[in-house]
Amino acid sequence: MVDETKSQKPRVGVYICHCGTNIAGSIDIKELQDFAQTIPNVVLADEYQYMCSTPGQKKIEDAIKEHGLTGIVVAACSPRLHEPTFRTASKEGGLNPFRFEMANIREQNSWVHMHDRQGATDKAKDALKMAVAKASLLEDLFPKSVPVEHSAMVVGAGVGGIQAALDLASSGIKTYLIEKAPTIGGRMSQLDKTFPTLDCSQCILTPKMVDVGRHPNIELMTYTEVEKVEGYIGNFDITLRKKARGVLTPTEAETRGIVGGGCNGCGDCEQVCPVIKPNPFEMGMAPRKAIYIYHPQVVPLIYTVDFDSCVKCGLCVEACGEKKAIDLEQEDEFVTVKVGTAVLAVGYELFPVEKKTEWGYKRYDNVITSLEFERLICASGPTGGKVIRPSDGETPKKIGFVLCAGSRDNTGIGKPYCSRFCCMYSLKHAHQLHEKIPGSQSYLFYMDIRSFGKMYEEFYYRIQDEGAKFIRGRVAKIEEDPITKNPHVLTEDTLLGQPVDIELDMVVLASAVQPTEETNHVRHLFGVSQSMDGWLLEAHPKLNPCGTTTAGVFLAGVCQGPKDIPDTVAQAEGAAAAASIPIHVGEVELEPYFAMCIEEKCAGCGMCVNLCPYSALDLVEKNGRTVMQVTEAKCKGCGTCGGFCPGGAIWMQHFATPQIVAQIDAFLLGGEQ
Amino acid sequence: MAKAKGYSDENLSVRLADRYYRTEDASPDFLKNVEKIGMTIAHMCYQCGTCTGSCPSAPRSSYRIRKFVRRAVLGLENDALTDPDLWLCTTCYSCTDRCPRDIAPTDIIMAMRNLAFKREIVPRNFLNTVQFIYKTGHGVPNNDVNRAARVRLGLEAEPETTAKYAEFIPGIQKILDHYGLKDKADEILAEGQ
Repeated sequence: MVDETKSQKPRVGVYICHCGTNIAGSIDIKELQDFAQTIPNVVLADEYQYMCSTPGQKKIEDAIKEHGLTGIVVAACSPRLHEPTFRTASKEGGLNPFRFEMANIREQNSWVHMHDRQGATDKAKDALKMAVAKASLLEDLFPKSVPVEHSAMVVGAGVGGIQAALDLASSGIKTYLIEKAPTIGGRMSQLDKTFPTLDCSQCILTPKMVDVGRHPNIELMTYTEVEKVEGYIGNFDITLRKKARGVLTPTEAETRGIVGGGCNGCGDCEQVCPVIKPNPFEMGMAPRKAIYIYHPQVVPLIYTVDFDSCVKCGLCVEACGEKKAIDLEQEDEFVTVKVGTAVLAVGYELFPVEKKTEWGYKRYDNVITSLEFERLICASGPTGGKVIRPSDGETPKKIGFVLCAGSRDNTGIGKPYCSRFCCMYSLKHAHQLHEKIPGSQSYLFYMDIRSFGKMYEEFYYRIQDEGAKFIRGRVAKIEEDPITKNPHVLTEDTLLGQPVDIELDMVVLASAVQPTEETNHVRHLFGVSQSMDGWLLEAHPKLNPCGTTTAGVFLAGVCQGPKDIPDTVAQAEGAAAAASIPIHVGEVELEPYFAMCIEEKCAGCGMCVNLCPYSALDLVEKNGRTVMQVTEAKCKGCGTCGGFCPGGAIWMQHFATPQIVAQIDAFLLGGEQ
Repeated sequence: MAKAKGYSDENLSVRLADRYYRTEDASPDFLKNVEKIGMTIAHMCYQCGTCTGSCPSAPRSSYRIRKFVRRAVLGLENDALTDPDLWLCTTCYSCTDRCPRDIAPTDIIMAMRNLAFKREIVPRNFLNTVQFIYKTGHGVPNNDVNRAARVRLGLEAEPETTAKYAEFIPGIQKILDHYGLKDKADEILAEGQ
């Protein structure tokens, strides 16, 4: 069949989709169809309401057989949506699926030229004749299958990463769970209670943390960062940096011949350490030593030396004694693991709300962030759950909660998006305040209360019933009484239309969230795009929210966009399911868009080898000559080498020079050769 | 309305008049004009109240800048331009500094004042200020109390402005004449006599 179609004069079938009125509303379908019939090589030009429907696809299948078509062009939506549909239809009709070409006349035409019917129609004609020009020259291609490594990696061990790792591991896949901090748990482990059920956050998270630590299929690597990512779906080679934590696990100790040694989490070392630093887990509100754990429930229960502050006095080594768990000379180690797919769950951090100077965070003692409030009200926090004013340690009776502190802000200082969970946790904070401090009064300064989830609106009702005061106005300014250190909140009660000045004991800023500092680095390693606001970009916001444009890499949790715990867990389970599919299938088809070397033309100069971003090219000896050779599985078909090759010796399959030149000719010369 | 509601008592009619906001009350070009003159995106306001909360005038008056922005968005031209509160903005720009939608509410007020002036709606003290500027180059000219204070602080009695260099006053007058501001001010003030 290959030879048969190659020798034939091209016979292209053109199909124009109305997409209801999405396309037909702005483009003259009849005019376009009439035009299509005049394009060289077109033997058939048809139109249909919805080409992606079963009858639409059937048209293609039937015509291929009936008219002996060698190429198919569908003028419709973006190939991102329906290219696979029409490829399948072409295949069903007996044509190689790669002889199908799509002309995008919706996203790039009818939707953006809604008010210019003739202009849009003319543009559609251009798109169509270019697609026909390419379809006339398309060749049969055959996708390659590659085996998929039976393992996966999850980067980030907050609740999202933990859930994804548990799901992957429980479906029988060896899973590497990577966490840069010394313990797993992430942001959720810092929270006191969760809305709207008021579950204790640690109580519902620690069972999962323990499961992770014990799961036979999970290899947990804390205090570890991703250093390098090579390869492609099914065969990622990921190099990890195991940062020197200065403390050996019992297993590590055993490999060094110290039987029965290693860290057992007794804490003797911590007691003798003379260096005191703020504990980031407690938002800096409690001390830790240079050898530390974040909190008593850490997983794994292994101490960590902060080598930036350790003075290497050796007291801890002495205290550790026979266990010989501490090695102050330890250095970073690198390990490379092979995985089939990866899930990124790298989380978020708080927007530095001190940038909004009008609220005085870091200038006024009694203005704190919501995460600091979480630690203050948490029984295992720095004050044992006693809420106190930072300025004098007194119990605050009147607390204001400032919502949208940096969210929904288009000034360029804050974040333009809604951070999505601040409304709900501020309601929860108000509840906790009423519960813990009798006679206390909460004030919530809000623009809109976004209680969108299951049982969330009911929670709002409940907190209002408890006596929380809601003032509809965004806080304009906070001023501090220099003597009492009481913050005054200045805003307008927009419902009364009256400016208000409320003197409070303490103010909690529901700070916006933003991607972590490392997110950008991680995304570059894995080749994942970001959206305008810095969150990692999903493959499709509605239909592929867990995937990315890089095959085999998936997203879970807030790193893809602000979301609360239920949404994070749901997405993590989705990402785990999606990441497990190629692994369970055992092989993936790669699009056959790789470069090919035309050996007769290749001079063996090797310039392409260094240019290739994927290290897919090598120089080899063949028949006494040096020529370039492509490792097809590594090649992503980016075209860097093909565009550069001075001898024109590189053939980019499906994007070959003659095919592209024909498209340009069609556009500039109207199809004349 | 099919039937007009009436009361025999005129005062009662005014007091109980229906005060619905109706779309036909809106002037369709008002928002466009305000945005053009003020060079700001008034229609992006989400009524958070940061402007009024920032306003030093609001706690001391009935001036609510947020309401003026709302009137701009809804095209309530008469409401906005005939409200004497329009002239209570001190143009301190606190609202513009803090507006989370990056709108310049101060410039919305300035635009409305421009439009009001075209309809000769303007308080007399503003017109007096115009006359002062025309005469001295200052809205608030130097005075003896101020001069004494300056001397006490070791400064020259007159600042480095038209107060000291009166030869520049004709230039200022030329600008005001070009826009007919002084004549208009004189005219309106004379009418009120």
